[in-house]
Amino acid sequence: MATYQSAFNALGLKDWCAGDGGGNAPMSMAQLLAKNSGDKVADTSLWDLPFPSLDALHKACPAWPQSRELTKGLEHAFLNVKDSLSLVLDPITQPLSWCLDGALYVMQNTPWWIVIPVLMAVVFLVTKSWKLVGLVAASILLLAFIDYYTYAMQTLAIIFVCAFLCVLLGVPIGIAMARSDLLQRLLIPVLDMLQTLPPFVYLIPLIFLFSVTESKLYGIAIILYAIVPVVRLTNLGIRLVDKEVIEAADAFGMTERQKLYKVQIPLALPNIMAGVNQTIMMSLAMVVIASLVSAPGLGVLVLKGIRNLELGVGLVSGLGIVILAVILDRVTKASLARINAAQKA
Amino acid sequence: MTAEPKIAIRNLYKIFGPEPEVALEYVKRGVGKADLLEKHGHVLGLKDINVDIRHGEITVIMGLSGSGKSTLIRHLNRLIEPTAGEVRVDDQDVLAFNEDQLRELRRTQMSMVFQKFALLPHRTVLENAGMAMDVRGKRVREFEAAARKWLTRVGLEGNENQYPHQLSGGMQQRVGIARALVSNSPIMLMDEAFSALDPLIRSDMQDLLLELQAELKKTIVFITHDLDEALKLADHLVILKDGEVVQQGDPQHILLNPGDPYIVDFIADINRARVLRVRSVMRKMNGGAAGDYAGDLNERDNLESVLARSGGDTRLVYRVVRGDDTVGELAMTDLTRALVPTNAASAPAERL
Repeated sequence: MATYQSAFNALGLKDWCAGDGGGNAPMSMAQLLAKNSGDKVADTSLWDLPFPSLDALHKACPAWPQSRELTKGLEHAFLNVKDSLSLVLDPITQPLSWCLDGALYVMQNTPWWIVIPVLMAVVFLVTKSWKLVGLVAASILLLAFIDYYTYAMQTLAIIFVCAFLCVLLGVPIGIAMARSDLLQRLLIPVLDMLQTLPPFVYLIPLIFLFSVTESKLYGIAIILYAIVPVVRLTNLGIRLVDKEVIEAADAFGMTERQKLYKVQIPLALPNIMAGVNQTIMMSLAMVVIASLVSAPGLGVLVLKGIRNLELGVGLVSGLGIVILAVILDRVTKASLARINAAQKA
Repeated sequence: MTAEPKIAIRNLYKIFGPEPEVALEYVKRGVGKADLLEKHGHVLGLKDINVDIRHGEITVIMGLSGSGKSTLIRHLNRLIEPTAGEVRVDDQDVLAFNEDQLRELRRTQMSMVFQKFALLPHRTVLENAGMAMDVRGKRVREFEAAARKWLTRVGLEGNENQYPHQLSGGMQQRVGIARALVSNSPIMLMDEAFSALDPLIRSDMQDLLLELQAELKKTIVFITHDLDEALKLADHLVILKDGEVVQQGDPQHILLNPGDPYIVDFIADINRARVLRVRSVMRKMNGGAAGDYAGDLNERDNLESVLARSGGDTRLVYRVVRGDDTVGELAMTDLTRALVPTNAASAPAERL
């Protein structure tokens, strides 16, 4: 029969294999085909030796689990802990829903002639550059003129909330990492995983955990995806602070807290701000994907363009995202440049 | 003046490595630096250091790179913990201090000046100068007057609102010195403070330090690898080699009586006439009349100025004064003898 049957026989497992007849897994297509055509695979040459994978071994010994049982088992395990997990996670993450809903409500219900000047004022405050204020004004007015204002504001509201929370959580994590080598060793693989996991993969377990109608679902997905750079660069920034300056701080008798607030954070600020810039750009990337799970904004239009093959809608909303990306990037880079100019060592 | 030393270092050992305690036993049994590294994987930083640092003096610790001088100075305020030994400041054991006492010591007793200045790049010159006060919780307006005073004193009037990166290296180190002065601590630790500056600026800064010291009488510990700098500044000179003190004492005395071939090598290249002073080579008065002398010399004059004054005439004898008192006489022949390099002087003697 199958290639590895003799191996099982040699190990004296023939009874075990036969006993548990593999009846619990439904037959696969390949098995059905094999059954119909009869056992023609009497002896395979060495050339055709299959890799001893789960499925190949299953063929030789029906008691052996198949590979699809692995994925199935994972699914079952997740579904089993799901209820207790969401019992804990639901209340913890509830404020995220409130923040997102609140921000969306405020952005959409404040009249445009208040929102746009306020945005201009914020841009001027952080960049002190009239040129950038002009760029942002032109971009938003253009989006408003082609009736994409509401969508753009939804996207912006989500990005503001998520990026803010990323900084709020990411900077302390980065500081803790900079202080403890052990924590750094533990967290770096986690950060690597978060960064390399395809963004769609985040969404799958989240859909099981939370209801699709809740805004925290996409909020969590965006935060998980976008928090990585700010954590990494905070850690790096604090570790890169000039050793002599730290020594001077010690020599003048600074406490740990004084050292953190008076020396380490200010000196790491250019790196932290570079992380914030990356975090904002990554939340923008994720907010588009998150529209698959009901995140409002320009992503919905992109999705509509794909689903209904509305080429124009897809292209224009894509352009809208590019415009948002450009203004967010320019504004954060300009404020970063201001910090750098203040302290080039 | 010879009362209690301000800082006393006793039997200080520092060994870097995974098990310094074990390595310490080997060192005490006489294992050398090279063997310790090769056979036991530990680096001998400092070995049995005993130094008295006296109040109001500039103690210069000199050695080449790797001799342990920067390690030694960091033991004084415990930026580095010793493996064994004692550091006493004002007769208090610094190593027994808890964290709060240590912080208090660093805040009020000692200030430090660094080779690479180590200023805060995001603070103005004024705020940097007042760093010690800021650490103690004082607001800018509380320390502004003191900071401005010392900044003016080190020659930075008008630069108060600039940032460190807008200043040249020499000016940045002036901020570093002002920072140490504003802290008003009796002890100043200077870790190769002038080594990163170019020679002309360095000489200016040395003059500034001597000028300040004449006025303030602080206890200064100065680290350098530059013998000329050491001889110019030192009241007490400690020479380190491979983590050990090879010789310490009055720099003039070391120059005239080097106790080790290492030091002979060291002093071979210096301009003896510029470094040696009249008081080191003069002898006691032998009661000549005032008319026998070619003139009066200050005991602190260096030999170069005496040579210039004599015009190279070796027959002259000068009278040496300190203030209004006559303290000795200097014959030009003695002066010439003092200028003979040490290794050249010993070589013919061996041949005899």
